[in-house]
Amino acid sequence: MKVVLRVLAGPAGALVLAFVLAAIAMLIAGVNPVDGFGALFAGSLGGRRPIAETLVQTTALLFPALGVSLAFRTGLFNIGAEGQLLMGGLFAGAVGAHFAGPGWLVIPVLLLLGMVGGGIWGGIAGWLRARFNASEIISTLMLNFIALSLAGYLVAGPLKSPLASGAETAPLLPNGWLPAFPTIGSLGFGDTRLTISILIAIATAMVLSFVFTRTVFGYELRAAGEAPEAARRSGINMPRMTLIALALSGAVAGLGGAAIVTGVLHRFNTALSPGYGYTAIAVALVGDLNPLWVCVAAFGFGILEAGGLAMQANAGVPKDAIHVIEGLIVLVLAARRYFATRAAGAPV
Amino acid sequence: MSTGVSLMLTLLFLTLIKSVPIVYAALGGVIAERAGVVNIGLEGMMTAGAFSAVVFTNLTGSPIVGLIAGVFFGAVLGFVLGFAATFFKVDQIVAGVGINLVALGGAAYGLVLIFNQPGASPQVEQLGPGQLLPQITTGETALIVLGLVCAFGLNWFIYRTPWGLRIQACGENPRAVTDAGLNPLRLRLYSVIASGALAGLGGAFLSICEVNLYSDGMTAGRGFIALAAVIFGRWTPWGATGAAVFFGFFEALQYVLQGRISWLPSDAMQALPYLAALFAIAGLVGRVRAPTADGVPY
Amino acid sequence: MHQHFELVGRLRVWQNIMLGREPRKGLLVDVDAARSRVAELAERNGLAIDPDALVEELPIGVQQRVELLRELEREPSVLLLDEPTAALAPAEIATLFATVVQLAKRGTAILVVTHKLQEVIDYTTRVSVMRHGKIVARYQTTQTSTDEIARAMVGGELPQVAQREATGTQPCLSVRDLSAGVDTTTVSNLSFEVSAGEIVGIAGVEGNGQTVLADAIAGMIPYTGAIELDGSENALKHRENIGIVPQDRHHEGLVLNWSIVENAILGRQNLPGIRKGALTDWNAARADAEAIIERFDVRAASADVPVRTLSGGNQQKLLVGRALLGDPRFVLAYQPTRGIDVGAAALVQSRLIEARNRGCAILLISFELDEILALADRVLVMFRGKINGSFTGAELERGKIGRLMAGLT
Repeated sequence: MKVVLRVLAGPAGALVLAFVLAAIAMLIAGVNPVDGFGALFAGSLGGRRPIAETLVQTTALLFPALGVSLAFRTGLFNIGAEGQLLMGGLFAGAVGAHFAGPGWLVIPVLLLLGMVGGGIWGGIAGWLRARFNASEIISTLMLNFIALSLAGYLVAGPLKSPLASGAETAPLLPNGWLPAFPTIGSLGFGDTRLTISILIAIATAMVLSFVFTRTVFGYELRAAGEAPEAARRSGINMPRMTLIALALSGAVAGLGGAAIVTGVLHRFNTALSPGYGYTAIAVALVGDLNPLWVCVAAFGFGILEAGGLAMQANAGVPKDAIHVIEGLIVLVLAARRYFATRAAGAPV
Repeated sequence: MSTGVSLMLTLLFLTLIKSVPIVYAALGGVIAERAGVVNIGLEGMMTAGAFSAVVFTNLTGSPIVGLIAGVFFGAVLGFVLGFAATFFKVDQIVAGVGINLVALGGAAYGLVLIFNQPGASPQVEQLGPGQLLPQITTGETALIVLGLVCAFGLNWFIYRTPWGLRIQACGENPRAVTDAGLNPLRLRLYSVIASGALAGLGGAFLSICEVNLYSDGMTAGRGFIALAAVIFGRWTPWGATGAAVFFGFFEALQYVLQGRISWLPSDAMQALPYLAALFAIAGLVGRVRAPTADGVPY
Repeated sequence: MHQHFELVGRLRVWQNIMLGREPRKGLLVDVDAARSRVAELAERNGLAIDPDALVEELPIGVQQRVELLRELEREPSVLLLDEPTAALAPAEIATLFATVVQLAKRGTAILVVTHKLQEVIDYTTRVSVMRHGKIVARYQTTQTSTDEIARAMVGGELPQVAQREATGTQPCLSVRDLSAGVDTTTVSNLSFEVSAGEIVGIAGVEGNGQTVLADAIAGMIPYTGAIELDGSENALKHRENIGIVPQDRHHEGLVLNWSIVENAILGRQNLPGIRKGALTDWNAARADAEAIIERFDVRAASADVPVRTLSGGNQQKLLVGRALLGDPRFVLAYQPTRGIDVGAAALVQSRLIEARNRGCAILLISFELDEILALADRVLVMFRGKINGSFTGAELERGKIGRLMAGLT
């Protein structure tokens, strides 16, 4: 029994569980799990193009997941990565549509604008919490919906491209597009959607990891999350920390929005995120809020996202099953602590 | 009748209609939080209620059965959250986020599986006049009345009955409940199940009473707005009901103003209820006190 | 009955007492029956109480009464009291035990867990001494003494506390006309000084403004008046000048999931020795942690284990060790030996006296009169947010201080 509990406690347990749940979802849909998994893996890892698509999804999840991790580590429940992602994309798209110049200037500026957009959106929640003690859980959720309305209004009105039929901004000039992922040996990615944004995302994770473990700021941030009262008494200005942490968290998510605009869509519209900001919470938790493990978790979820589409097309399993599985993983992983303590023999 | 008066009447009527689902979810939020569990999963429970109500109405042809199914499946998710948050000591916020992912994904998955059409269900029979209350009342009126009954009943339950007293103690200091020889975890679990049932009822109103189908994302954050209503209403049943009506008013206002004010496009006005909720929780600086053990696992 | 009250502050007295055993009238609570039951219970046991009062608005001594009544409502045959007098003034202690002794005479078995040896001698019939989870001695109260019990608690002779040298005279911390706090927990117009090389003890029953005073000095709450270190209000804001032992080690002093190394620099993370540019110098942090472990005999497998795994005594030694690190000018010690065994307490007290001998000014806040009398060069008595008595050296007299703590003169 103890061995079973210990296996369940690890991320391996989460993985096994994900497979079991996926198999059940396939059986419910009347599909042989062998066929279902075959389609899922063929669509996510079976070749150059599927792998590129998996990495595109990985990147889209990684930025908001890193933002969420930063906030959670500070003890702040930022459920608003979705809105911050959208605002980052909006800022980058709105300016990018009219910004001509050399790529070395345009791309960094657009990415920075993404951070500003997401940072403002996270910062609003931070300010409301710091100044009025308004629950960041509710404010970030409300800001998700407000971001969607605001972006929807802007792309249907003031920012709408006169040439586009749908509601979207004018396309970015090619100088603003992120370069394709570099060719490795004979393996080129020029004809896929994969760009260097995955490298930017991994670099961001490494920077965050360094900040958490080596800097005084990271130390104070973790103190604020682990023991707020002890942190306050150690001289940390908690309202200021709240504001900074939520703004930074939003900025990282916003960077992800700008990366999607400059790397994948080359314009902004509200279909930028099919809920990456919510899935990112699952990714962050599976990665134990540790930036480097979050990268691994994002890859796992990237497989699900990319493979889910193929599974729907080729095996007839609705891809929304993937989101059910993700939700169940969150529930089970949150329960993991219980199993971990039980396995260690500690009283509950 | 002048257009002004008729406009006011429309606004009043729409406010009532738009408030109902938020009222149910907010009452669900009150009972969970008074017991010490923050129910972020209200949104998912509403979704479960809305979807299952349509499925069972479609199956049986009876919106009453649909309504009961909505309550039941809301309660099932309430049980999942309650069990996770009590006996498994899962972080309540995290578990709630998980519940929302499961419910939204599950409903989308179910649409394809059951109706074989993504995005929205086919139309089903609507909760009509006389099905819940006597002939003269429409389905909507019946659920408005039922909402008021629920608010009254919850108020009475929390402040007047022994179980209400215990639930209050549970949200303030679960150890005191243990010392009194009761099990606070079980009390919390029951409260969250009731919370899910109420949210499920609110969701069912959305799908088989206000309209006659389920579409993806139809709860549109009402569960989250209900959470704001709980805070704005200071964790009391009547306070939360009032706050829910207040937010319902802004949702109604958005419909009434649509097309009437040319410089304010409808996309921007959709933000009204969310903005109202944001301002409401921010405007309460230093004047609210949540139950002491709210959100704290025991 | 617990050391920390398990009451619901926002419910009324009768609701607290009758919780779980509410008299009913149909589906509802029979409020009148509940009230009269509480009133009758209070009357019978001689514990005056208003059944309709909100518990959080009652003074701590009265809350204790509610706690006791709640237990008595169940008409127990055995009553367990865990440190029942931790928050009571001497007079309230006498009242409490008068009630308890009455209960015993009427046939209730009473078990009191306490570390206050005088209470044991005054009120009990039999004593068992516990050490490391085992009962190591049993006595008939009439045939033993506080000294004998104390020796049994330590398992040998009491460790010697460091010798004190002459008191300093150079004022270090000065507090003038300090007012702070809200509602019932306030301090008003406090003025006193602590000299370098002096320990000033604040005696008083818990809840008479000590926490507000400590928070004001630590800069955690706004205040009016002046708090100066060496004549400067700014000097107090420099972390290298002060060391603080907070009241609640679990919430205010330590990050339980962190290692000893990480905890060793909490509050000192921005000092020049620890902060290098934007980075934390983890080597310096480790050196600090090891210095504390050695000087304060912190028993841990290594400096990298989470402090959650340490015993309460070792956590407290870590906390005091951190506060004394780098020889600060001034140390605020709030209940520095709270809840730790006699041996660890003696070590902590010795280190405080050694710091004093080196010229550190120490403000000691404690609810244990014994600790104050053992450590302080000068004693100030706090009652309802004011200082109502001051004693030095030869005038230190237990009975007089005890009466002032209860507000009597």
